[in-house]
Amino acid sequence: MSEADKRRPVPEGTDELDREMDMASLLAALDPAAVDRQFWVRFHVRVLKDAAPELARRRLMIQLTVEDVMTSWARTVIPTAVLAAALAGLLLFRGHSAPSPALVGVEELLLAEVEGTTIPGTLAADEVIAPVSFASEGF
Amino acid sequence: MSLKESREPTDGDLVRKARKGEAEAFGLLVERHQRAAYAVALSVTGRPEDAEDAAQESFLVALERLEECRSPDRFAGWMMTIVRNRSRNLVRREALRGTEQVPASARTGEPTPDVATEISELRQVLETALSRIPEVHRQIVMLHDLEGWKHREIAQLLELPSGTVRSHLHFARKALRQELSKTAVGADTIRKIR
Repeated sequence: MSEADKRRPVPEGTDELDREMDMASLLAALDPAAVDRQFWVRFHVRVLKDAAPELARRRLMIQLTVEDVMTSWARTVIPTAVLAAALAGLLLFRGHSAPSPALVGVEELLLAEVEGTTIPGTLAADEVIAPVSFASEGF
Repeated sequence: MSLKESREPTDGDLVRKARKGEAEAFGLLVERHQRAAYAVALSVTGRPEDAEDAAQESFLVALERLEECRSPDRFAGWMMTIVRNRSRNLVRREALRGTEQVPASARTGEPTPDVATEISELRQVLETALSRIPEVHRQIVMLHDLEGWKHREIAQLLELPSGTVRSHLHFARKALRQELSKTAVGADTIRKIR
């Protein structure tokens, strides 16, 4: 049995009986360790080296506590809230200080700058009523 | 169950620890499955250097997507699915690039003592023989006969009935023997490998 075969996990159950040892021995030539004994060691080292940043990121994520998360939120949320409150206060203050518009009654508004007399006044006057022509409109 | 077995962490245990960034746990997962990953990758790509790249990349992809592994105790099957997909993508990319196949003699980069040379020759013959059988047959024969996977495990991985896996295995071996019989692979080489 080759070195590669010894390291390979031995399967449980009856499949091993079905495993053709001739075929297994032949296929063992495809194992890179058949010609390069350090192949799997190097492979393993390379994978772990490439995986190091992702593993570090995962460790960092685990280290972050709830308090850390809240603190990080507070760093942005509190100044924003303070700024918003200040803006709202400023707008409110400016709103109070503005001059209020003068109140004008409807009647007064209708008569303002209108010359002449009103319809009842005109009807009551003892004036000769000039002939009136009515225009008819057809629709 | 022996004491040793009861102390050995399951894949599920290791996956849960690796999710927390425990390098040792991830290292154990790699150690357990690197051979099978390589075998699957080789059965898809047919080229050792591509198989190595695909297997390595697959472990990194698996680590990044570890939360997507819904059944950590079935890590092996999930992992091999990633390996298959990565390997197929690699084959597609290589096909688009039109890369030339590297001769087997240039792959090892090792001094070539007699046995190593014979193994390299046999490897070349095997790679050629394997390239002539369907991908699913290659995966089954390599996982079963090289990596010692059970029919049930292969069936789960390939989403095939266990009986179909047995049948594929039978035809794969038969086809491989036929292909090998056409070459000058001697019994000496086989004996030396043992």
